[in-house]
Amino acid sequence: MNGYGGKILRVNLTNGTFTKENTPPEVARDFLGGRGFGIYFLLKEVPKGADPFGPENKLIISSGPLSGMLIPGGGKCDWTTKAPLTGGYASASMGGHFTAEMKYAGLDSIILEGISPKPVTLFIDNDKIELRDATALWGKKTFEVEKEFKHKLGEEFQVAVIGPGGENLVPYASINHDYGRQAGRGGVGAVMGAKKVKAIVLHGTKSVPVADIDAYRKAGMALYKACKDAEGLKDWTRYGTTIVVSWCDEVGALPTRNFSAGSFEKGKNLYGPVMREKIVITDKACFGCPCPCGKYSKNKKYNSFVEGPEYETIGLLGSNVGIDDIEAVAQANLLCDDLGIDTISAGNVIAWAMECYEKGILTKKETDGLELKFGNVEATFALIEKIARREGIGALLSEGVKKAAQKVGKGSEKFAIHVKGMEQSGYATHNATAMLLAYMTCDVGAHHNRSWAITYDLQVGRELVVPEKVARVIWLQNFRPMFDVLGGCRLQWVELGIDRDLYVPALEAMTGIHRSWDDLDKVGERIWNLTRLFWVRENEGFGREWDLPAPRFYEDAPTSGATKGQITKLEDVHRLLDMYYEQRGWSTDGLPTAETIEKLGLKALVA
Amino acid sequence: MRLYVDHSKCSGCNACRVACSLNLFGENNPKKSALVIEPLFPEPGTYNVKVCTQCGDCAVACPTEAIKKNDKGAYYVDFAECNLCEACVPECPEDVMFVRAELANAAWKCDLCGDCVAVCGTSALWIAETEAAA
Amino acid sequence: MTATLRLGASLKIMLGAQDEIVVPAGESVRATLLKLGIKPELVAMVTVAGELQDKDYVIREGDTVRLMAVVGGG
Repeated sequence: MNGYGGKILRVNLTNGTFTKENTPPEVARDFLGGRGFGIYFLLKEVPKGADPFGPENKLIISSGPLSGMLIPGGGKCDWTTKAPLTGGYASASMGGHFTAEMKYAGLDSIILEGISPKPVTLFIDNDKIELRDATALWGKKTFEVEKEFKHKLGEEFQVAVIGPGGENLVPYASINHDYGRQAGRGGVGAVMGAKKVKAIVLHGTKSVPVADIDAYRKAGMALYKACKDAEGLKDWTRYGTTIVVSWCDEVGALPTRNFSAGSFEKGKNLYGPVMREKIVITDKACFGCPCPCGKYSKNKKYNSFVEGPEYETIGLLGSNVGIDDIEAVAQANLLCDDLGIDTISAGNVIAWAMECYEKGILTKKETDGLELKFGNVEATFALIEKIARREGIGALLSEGVKKAAQKVGKGSEKFAIHVKGMEQSGYATHNATAMLLAYMTCDVGAHHNRSWAITYDLQVGRELVVPEKVARVIWLQNFRPMFDVLGGCRLQWVELGIDRDLYVPALEAMTGIHRSWDDLDKVGERIWNLTRLFWVRENEGFGREWDLPAPRFYEDAPTSGATKGQITKLEDVHRLLDMYYEQRGWSTDGLPTAETIEKLGLKALVA
Repeated sequence: MRLYVDHSKCSGCNACRVACSLNLFGENNPKKSALVIEPLFPEPGTYNVKVCTQCGDCAVACPTEAIKKNDKGAYYVDFAECNLCEACVPECPEDVMFVRAELANAAWKCDLCGDCVAVCGTSALWIAETEAAA
Repeated sequence: MTATLRLGASLKIMLGAQDEIVVPAGESVRATLLKLGIKPELVAMVTVAGELQDKDYVIREGDTVRLMAVVGGG
């Protein structure tokens, strides 16, 4: 099939068998790939009420039509599953070179089913597919395992691997690839661990067919030219996502001491230029990317190498835990990657534990003797290790901030910063109503990347609660995830500002099907509604309550920084939801109505 | 003229290799490209890029005279005349002369088309006059 | 005594403005933006001659001041 690898590989881990089927053309037509394939297979094949760690859950790994092609940023791989962290939908996007290699091996999706009786590596070399014993690798950290495979098989092989975090079923365990790229959020790594798959190694040498090779080359070249001509290319490439640290600090969006403020008095030490100067040695790209955001660092203080930290990690494992030493943040980043846990969730839950400690809710008795004060670097490192191994206080913190707060109680639920059980990522949302709504309604929990609306807040007025803001959030939610559906990266559009219409002829030349962005936005809307219906199906009583933000953002105004004294009132939070549900065609409790399901043509899928 | 590379600027994205395979074979397949990118990770955390210097040693070694000069002065493989003998491969000082019979029925090498340069976002690649040997 | 502001693509799109704006020298970037009706907090990065500057940088004659917004985030 033009623009695709052409096959779906199913791996039945319970029996150790494989099947390959042709990628159904109608699924490619309606869901395109990546995250679209993920939700399609998840809804259709994972039975209602499945245990995320049970044999019925599936881990669905998908490339998309842009993956592995002459398209800037065609390096994104989607990992979809029922989330152990939230009990809802999980879709984690992983950069690097894995998704391209899938295409060259002729694969659009790899679906892991069942549970292996013993640790295994899934080995794929074009049409040769094997499950290899991985007992000797179990317990090893991610870098060591990736190194072993690369050494043995060569650089043409791509490796995705879990660490001790995934093996120990930490519900925010990550999957690691290319020494520093992750499928991080929602616990996809724990699902891989539950299935006893230590690693997937992959190699392909097939050519990807396209509908019109000349038009494709021309359109691809035009996209690269647009990126190279972009005003911001040089500065963006120099700093990557760390470019926003100073800006977030300035506008009060930098998560500081468990989101109690949005500006960090020692934030300057974490700014992009400081990091570049101190530790960055190489710009490291995902497949096909002309504006690499990956900053590879040599950390002299800790004698280590790490990709990053990128913005989210600087926010969550820096200012949010009160650390202002970029080398310490980089080392915390490395520990998380190597042990295989998500830096965002880890930083968030550690900050919560520190606040508990400073408020006397947790004492040294519960913290294994650690002095859990904000800014304590050694305690942060120790907690990361304990979480991944579920040892001591790590057992509690490994549950995620929502469950940990429920267990500890004593008012700590009020400052557990999550939505739907997913720890909030790196933007403090005091008095930034569009961004707050984006987090509240994000399809996986409190994650930023579906709708990043905070500049819109600044542009039109942070406190405004108006339909235009809600419409903006919805448009972004429909449109931005389409890059994950297509198997590509949004940053060329987002950061370099290239015209998104340039993708239209490229996609048409590859697949032979013309789709305007209006068409693609509609696909995005359908997928958004399907993910919502998955939450509804899997959670008795799902509704408005699930969309509420952490109370901190409506009760607990910062006492310092740019957003000092600023919150959004709870009644305004509900007004945002009222407008959001209305514009989405959902009930006042946030459920897609029968008419909306009908109108979007989703009835057959959710019957 | 030849292709030059600044290794320190390479970010390992492989766009050059996709563009290369499209030029050489009209196919989307970086395994069929004439550049090699070696990621050196986790340490020292850099990329090593191998490119053709157009030295012509491959052409000298070719018994069927399949490696010819094009109008840019670059050596290229005339696919029709290559018999996959592999005599050229060990002669290449840069390891960028390729024979992979499972992928293509002729040897291949850089023909200096320049498409790799066009897609390189970090300007790690460029084409310039060949410097005289020191 | 003038200088040039160059707006990065995303900022240009956000403001519906032109690529380049000629401004008087002698005032800070922040004050200049306010006079133009551009909220300084929308600008994430200021560079002059390849050097990063903050918004309190006083624009000098002949400067080309490049401004970038962050529109999309991570």
